[in-house]
Amino acid sequence: MARRRGGPLAAEVRWAWLFLAPTIIGLALLSAGPILATLGISFTRWDLLTAPEFVGFDNFRELLGDHRFMSALRNTVLFTVLSIPLDMALALFLALSLNRAIRGIAWIRTSYFLPLVTSATAISLVWAWIYAPNGILNSIIGFVGVPPQRWITDPFWAVPAIVFMTVWQGVGISTIIFLAGLQAVPEELYDAADVDGAGRWARLRYVTLPLLTPSLFFTGILGLIGAFQVFDQVYVLARPGNPTEATITLVYFIYENGFRFFRMGYASAASWILFVIVGVLTLIYFRLQRRWVHYQ
Amino acid sequence: MNGATRSAGRPMRLATILAAGAIAAMTAAACGGQKPAIEYSIWGDPSELQSQQAIVDVFKKANPDIDVKVTVSDWSTYWDKLQTGLAGGAAPDVFAMDGPLFPDYQARDVLLDLKPYIDKDGYDVSKLVDLAVKDFTTADGGQYGLPRDLNSVVLYYNKAMFDEAGVAYPDDTWTWEDLVAAGKKLTKDKDGDKTIDQWGLYTETTDMENYWSSLVWQNGGDVLAPDGKTTLLDSAEAKGGLQFLQDLIYREKIMPEPALFAETGDAFEQGQAAMEANGSWLVPTLLNAGIDLGIAPLPAGAAGKVTSLNPTGAVVYKKSKNPEAAWKFVKFLTSPEAQQMLMQLKAALPIDKSVLAGPYASSFDGAQVFADSIAYGHLKPSFKGYDKFTTTLQAELDTNVFNAPNKTAAEAIDAVVGELNAILAQQ
Repeated sequence: MARRRGGPLAAEVRWAWLFLAPTIIGLALLSAGPILATLGISFTRWDLLTAPEFVGFDNFRELLGDHRFMSALRNTVLFTVLSIPLDMALALFLALSLNRAIRGIAWIRTSYFLPLVTSATAISLVWAWIYAPNGILNSIIGFVGVPPQRWITDPFWAVPAIVFMTVWQGVGISTIIFLAGLQAVPEELYDAADVDGAGRWARLRYVTLPLLTPSLFFTGILGLIGAFQVFDQVYVLARPGNPTEATITLVYFIYENGFRFFRMGYASAASWILFVIVGVLTLIYFRLQRRWVHYQ
Repeated sequence: MNGATRSAGRPMRLATILAAGAIAAMTAAACGGQKPAIEYSIWGDPSELQSQQAIVDVFKKANPDIDVKVTVSDWSTYWDKLQTGLAGGAAPDVFAMDGPLFPDYQARDVLLDLKPYIDKDGYDVSKLVDLAVKDFTTADGGQYGLPRDLNSVVLYYNKAMFDEAGVAYPDDTWTWEDLVAAGKKLTKDKDGDKTIDQWGLYTETTDMENYWSSLVWQNGGDVLAPDGKTTLLDSAEAKGGLQFLQDLIYREKIMPEPALFAETGDAFEQGQAAMEANGSWLVPTLLNAGIDLGIAPLPAGAAGKVTSLNPTGAVVYKKSKNPEAAWKFVKFLTSPEAQQMLMQLKAALPIDKSVLAGPYASSFDGAQVFADSIAYGHLKPSFKGYDKFTTTLQAELDTNVFNAPNKTAAEAIDAVVGELNAILAQQ
């Protein structure tokens, strides 16, 4: 459609900018400035309190040889790789199960959403009880003869334990998004599929899933960005000590160096590595969407 | 946790003080004669805030020309806020300082040297516990803060559990062997379900102050070399002290593994352990828990009786607009009057010697044990890079020694000693 000067479309564009203005101004002033500043800081040795000293790429070089950073990176990547597929698969299953008109469906849907409006700290506290050596989980596996595990302190179980807890908490949001997507699928398409003799599986595979891809894409991107920023859970689960190399994550590493070890330059360098990782993955993800995301 | 300090100070010249005073006076005049307001920032729980606020109220009554506002945060938020405040040039005028963290702040030139004020007023620091004062003194004689109170580590015991098991109460003759022997008699599976429901001993393993630094000292070892440039944890004595704590958990089995009580908190407070090695800050909590509480010195090791002492200091922000008022307030915090108010909380030892020996020692059952511990206590290590050093060290100890017996203490220390020395060398 050709754009007409002064026409309704131009007016809409003006309104759009007006409505976006608070967010854009806020981002520009409160986020863009500090983000760029951290890039500068990442090339310095700075303890926050005395004058920064330019050190070139020293911080980045040191990070690559820092085993605590490497553990944080490994844990964060593992967390992301495990949590996103699990969250999406579970949410899809729940959304498909909940997408029907039965009595009390609103209550059931709400209950899946409830953990989401609870604070991550409170949830982590409850899960810490579940994961405790004498907690519920070990009691349950004890009934079937499995010896108790150190869910939080054992390096093998620590990340999966945090993943499970996080998915349990966050699955509600993905479910709601999928439900909205499901309800936007036109009934005629199912009718047409029926006419073509499609069974339940074929309807899911050739009608529902393709039309749900925008929702899948959207939850995937949210999950990716969120997963790389995991913090509260490890902060709470590690108490009363600090996260060990089994549980430390990138954002905790950044916090610890910036606010505990007087190494704001080092912390900034780590946060830029995080930024670049998330940025590159997001870019790849956006590029790939052409291949599998169908917009109606 | 608590704090203490050492600092390198430049004597502030009288002219500077006068100029600062004049500017403060002019500012006050320009603002229409507002009285100087100082902000006093502390970490702590509501009862500590209440206690400090009561002290502040007395100060304000005696000094109607100075306004003091108290702000409180939990431990971890406190340091975040303090650092951002200092970085932005808007920190509280007076703030609490943990002994071990003092060098990191002092070295970054954000604290005011109180030496000129002490000299000017003829303030006698020798009336305060010497070790605690020393924590805020620098090598060149600066005094960048004064101790406000002091914490000491003891052995708490549950008299009812000892009576029931027919075990004699701990006393000042106890050694490590006595601790283990009594601990075994007090560790019980009461309902026969093959899980222990009463432990002999409980402590926290995630910070050296709670118990393990005392064990290292009691065994003749030390954490740092006297010059502070290397760690001495790789000596056989130090490793032996750490090993003893691991053995209490996994060999003698008189102590629960840390994860068991990580979420529920203090086993002793909940009546699930007969003894606890821990600091003075627990007294109000343990008394409130209704435990039949006994207090004894920590059992002695091969090198005798040692415990950990750690003062909390009151320091003044170097850029405070009202340094005179801030100093006056710090001075009041250390006064016998304020110290007697503070001691009513029972959460810390007063640092005024006369209060310590007099009213404090008889203020509750066991207070004498705390008062006596100053004679044989060591200061909690305090050095630049403390947080990084201890985080690296505890990550190894927690993972491989205390939370699970993956390594012996010696193996764990050998694995991490190079990194620890590198951290100290970087400072």
